[in-house]
Amino acid sequence: MVGETLRNLLMIAWLLPLCGFAIEIFGGFWGSRKSRLAAWIAVGCIATGFVCSASALLIWGRQNEWVVLDKAGHGHDEAGHSEGENHAAPGHEGTAPHAEEHKEEPAKAQEEKHGSVAGSGSYLLTSMEEAKADQTAKQTVFSGTIYRLATFGGLELSLDYYIDSLTLVMFTMVTFIATCIHLFAMGYMSEELTEEYVDHHAHLRNGHHLHRPGRFYRFFAFLSLFCFSMLGLVIAGNIFQVFVFWELVGICSFLLIGFYTERKSASNAANKAFIMNRVGDFGFLIGLMVIWTYFGTFRFGESHNAEGQVTQAGLFQMLARDEAGNVTKSAENGEVVIGAAEASLNPVNSRKTIPYFLLVVAGLGVFAGCIGKSAQFPLQTWLPDAMEGPTPVSALVHSATMVAAGVYLVGRFYPMFVQEVLLTIAYVGCITLFVAATIAVVATDIKKVLAYSTISQLGYMMLGLGVFGWGAGLFHLVTHAFFKSLMFLCSGSVIYGCHHEQEMPKMGGLWKKMPITAFTMLIGVIAISGLAIPGLINLSTVFAFSGFFSKDAVVATALAFVKANPAHFLLFIVPLITAGITAFYMFRLWFYTFAGKPRDMHVYDHCHEAPLIMTAPLMVLSVLAAFCAVGGEKGPLFLLITGDQPGHVAHGISATNGLTLPGHDAIHSVHGQAGLLALIAAVSGTAIAWLLYGTEKVNVAEIKRQLSGVHSFLANKWHFDDLYDAIFMRPMHIAGKFCAWFDRTVFDGILHSAAKITVFVSQWDRKFDETVVDGLVNLVGNSTWSVGNSLRTVQTGRLRQYVMFIVVGVVALFAILITSFAG
Amino acid sequence: MSASLNAYLLVGAVLFICGVVCMATKRNGIGVLMGVELVLNGANVNFVAFSKFTDLGLDGQIFSLFVIVLAAAEAAVALAIALNFYNNHLTIDVDRANKLKG
Amino acid sequence: MSGENLLFTIFAVLTCVSAIAVVVSQTVVRMAFWLVLSLGSTSALFFLANADFVGASQLLVYVGGTLVLLVFGVMLTASGPYLKIATSPGETVLGALVALLFGFVIFACVNGVEWRSPEAAGTRAVAGNTLRPLGLSLLGSRPDHDLKDGDRLTPGYLLPFEIVSIHLLVVLIGAAYLARAKRRTVSPSVQS
Repeated sequence: MVGETLRNLLMIAWLLPLCGFAIEIFGGFWGSRKSRLAAWIAVGCIATGFVCSASALLIWGRQNEWVVLDKAGHGHDEAGHSEGENHAAPGHEGTAPHAEEHKEEPAKAQEEKHGSVAGSGSYLLTSMEEAKADQTAKQTVFSGTIYRLATFGGLELSLDYYIDSLTLVMFTMVTFIATCIHLFAMGYMSEELTEEYVDHHAHLRNGHHLHRPGRFYRFFAFLSLFCFSMLGLVIAGNIFQVFVFWELVGICSFLLIGFYTERKSASNAANKAFIMNRVGDFGFLIGLMVIWTYFGTFRFGESHNAEGQVTQAGLFQMLARDEAGNVTKSAENGEVVIGAAEASLNPVNSRKTIPYFLLVVAGLGVFAGCIGKSAQFPLQTWLPDAMEGPTPVSALVHSATMVAAGVYLVGRFYPMFVQEVLLTIAYVGCITLFVAATIAVVATDIKKVLAYSTISQLGYMMLGLGVFGWGAGLFHLVTHAFFKSLMFLCSGSVIYGCHHEQEMPKMGGLWKKMPITAFTMLIGVIAISGLAIPGLINLSTVFAFSGFFSKDAVVATALAFVKANPAHFLLFIVPLITAGITAFYMFRLWFYTFAGKPRDMHVYDHCHEAPLIMTAPLMVLSVLAAFCAVGGEKGPLFLLITGDQPGHVAHGISATNGLTLPGHDAIHSVHGQAGLLALIAAVSGTAIAWLLYGTEKVNVAEIKRQLSGVHSFLANKWHFDDLYDAIFMRPMHIAGKFCAWFDRTVFDGILHSAAKITVFVSQWDRKFDETVVDGLVNLVGNSTWSVGNSLRTVQTGRLRQYVMFIVVGVVALFAILITSFAG
Repeated sequence: MSASLNAYLLVGAVLFICGVVCMATKRNGIGVLMGVELVLNGANVNFVAFSKFTDLGLDGQIFSLFVIVLAAAEAAVALAIALNFYNNHLTIDVDRANKLKG
Repeated sequence: MSGENLLFTIFAVLTCVSAIAVVVSQTVVRMAFWLVLSLGSTSALFFLANADFVGASQLLVYVGGTLVLLVFGVMLTASGPYLKIATSPGETVLGALVALLFGFVIFACVNGVEWRSPEAAGTRAVAGNTLRPLGLSLLGSRPDHDLKDGDRLTPGYLLPFEIVSIHLLVVLIGAAYLARAKRRTVSPSVQS
């Protein structure tokens, strides 16, 4: 029953934006372009969605009596003896108490007490299967089918739902941020509330600016469509449904990046984003094929019949893992066993196997889709260009939600990834975070800095997931969504206030003009930089904003991973250094924009603070950006996210050959060390930024000149675009030119010669017609005419002469007869 | 001169030739008609002669009867034509009727 | 020379002479007169050849009907009392030449053929009083044939007789149509 309630609530939250989209796009708002009604509809839909999501979260928590949060307390209590005993419950034992959690979330704490009777092991539910009959009250995972679309043989395509704690957190997060951004966008896009909008960035051929009707309603329609697609992606209960909504968010991204479609750069950026995503989605499709071929289902969870019995195991139940966390291999051929969990259920198909390398291929394929969507190396170049879209779009689509969908999918699909895939994920994330961070150092466009920052942080998430920090990566996903959307909205506020000036060198000293924006931005910057004040309350705790905790979790996991696998030491060193770089470029951005003296008085004089409808979301988001992760890895958010983490995560994987992946205990043992190192890096980065940009005592230009080689290399984005141009575009152009040449010479030549032959034959045919055929006909006619003409004289018209002729003729006949008979 | 078959045939031949010559030389339309009558009469003489002198029998006479009847009809029509011709040309000279000259 | 031969000679000569006279006469009225003589003597020849009904028809139809018609034509078309339309001498000579040529051909034919006599082919000769056989023949019965071989019935002349009757009717109507009095729209110059 609870499952149905949850499903209904989430479906309302999911489908309301679709209704909103239909009303907004077909509701005839083009007739009244000055109306804000479309925006209010969109806000209403998504706000209702947020309410539904939040209530769904509460209902879910009450239903299972907050076993998820409860674990923390028990884990702490059992901290003393869980270590070294290989206890089944992977605790988050730590030295830090969890007092803050109760302080910040009294309501949830209340719930937690109710659920305290639950055993410490029961939070580990990874599927319904493990939720045995006596634990149904504590059920945390709900899955089922909403609507069956089609059945092709054994392939069943359906709309499924899969609700666990991660789904609920994502739902709440997405709807909440979307609501804030919708409100912000009402202010930001108000310039579109006109019959004649002048686009100063779109130049017509005659040199004038483009004049067009405002598209306020259309923007909100696209936003609503995006919300629908994103929520559908999150609620999706099978990988195919994920793929469908994956493409839907892609098309929404395309529409929103190209919102100023008259601008050449905007339409190019939209195309680039779409096409690069297709590259990743190709891999996604290959992964889907492998999965379908060997697993025979797309569903995450089990399928039930009407009586509630399990008819088919889901993907997550099929891949059996042994106690060490390795996938079970068949004794006969060494292939990976599928469906051991359902052996009793369906003995005939119970011993299916899949070659190990195909499991890797499936994982890498799905991850390829995530690379494209989350702008990871090597497909990261589309995201900076996507900043051509309106800033609310950058905040919602290209920082908080859609690009995080790749990370979400990696997290959601985690049970299917084997060690090799995870290592790939880790390295891809590692490369991405470093490359993007270095580029962000030299970027001057305020949105570009944030875009590279986004890529870098997404890299952190991927790294975290790749080094077996399932919770860490997704934790960073949620905290990043808050502070990055906050910062994007702040930058939007700056751009709005500065009349669409995005270049930071023209700003400076803006904090006097827009204090709210500057202050909220500072919160975001501190959050992302990972600054913290250790030992504020006592020596073993820290006071920090959300970014510290999540990044700390990632770095700690990485350290644990490197300790287990020393060969991959880069996976710890690089993110550690990048943590400093992150702090550096984020404070550089803040100092550049808000501190110091105004560098362009024209911009400064006309600059103004944004209206309340834009600053209010900033303030709300800043609170969340600061405190959402309070308590760190013992805080409610982390516990909520990891409530339904895959079963093998907690223990880690201790492989006999291959990678050893750290469990929670291993991670925890290095937590303090990693946190300290990360903090040192962040503080030093901040200090350098303050030195260079805050104090104005160091000549930045001089440094730039001395390091001009490095600077130009970074400013050119590591020449990735040039590299792709050389690798893909140039050969494509050459191939295209060759095709064109081939067409023009060979095909056209064949066609032309065929045409010439036809003309030649036709001419010859014409001559034949004119001379022979016509000549014969004319000859007959002419001879007839001349014969008639010559015989004409015989017709004298004289009656008596005819009589004579008759007589003479008769005589002549007689003469002939006589002579012939005589002969 | 006995009344032999040849004698009859010679009389028919004379009548025929006279009719033909009459047609060929008379410029008067009525004269041409008379020539036609003579030709038909010559043929009648032959029919009757063969009826008497050969095994043609009664058929010859019947044919000559038809010829007489048709000659009368022909005379009626030809006379009507001649009258029409005269009405149109105010003469009966057949040489004036040369409209069919090629 | 028997009486029959004598009569034949007289009428034959009269016929031929009258016919030649028709040819050589210059006026239409004389031609009509000679024609009457020629046709009349021909009917006498028919009587001599035992074709009494044909001879009678010749007299009635030709001499009594056709020639009256011709004389009417002569009178209706004569613009003067003794109309002469002269033939050129060349044409006369040419006509004479052609006539001689043609006559030579016919005489050659007549004399060159060995005619079968009725005695040789079986007695079919008509022995006078032909009214009755002719009438029967026109009604579809052939007494001269059917009496000899009755099983091979020969069709008579009923159908030609009917056709000729219809033909005569058509000809009469046509002639009346052609010769009807038209409202002539003659210009004054032609009338004078």
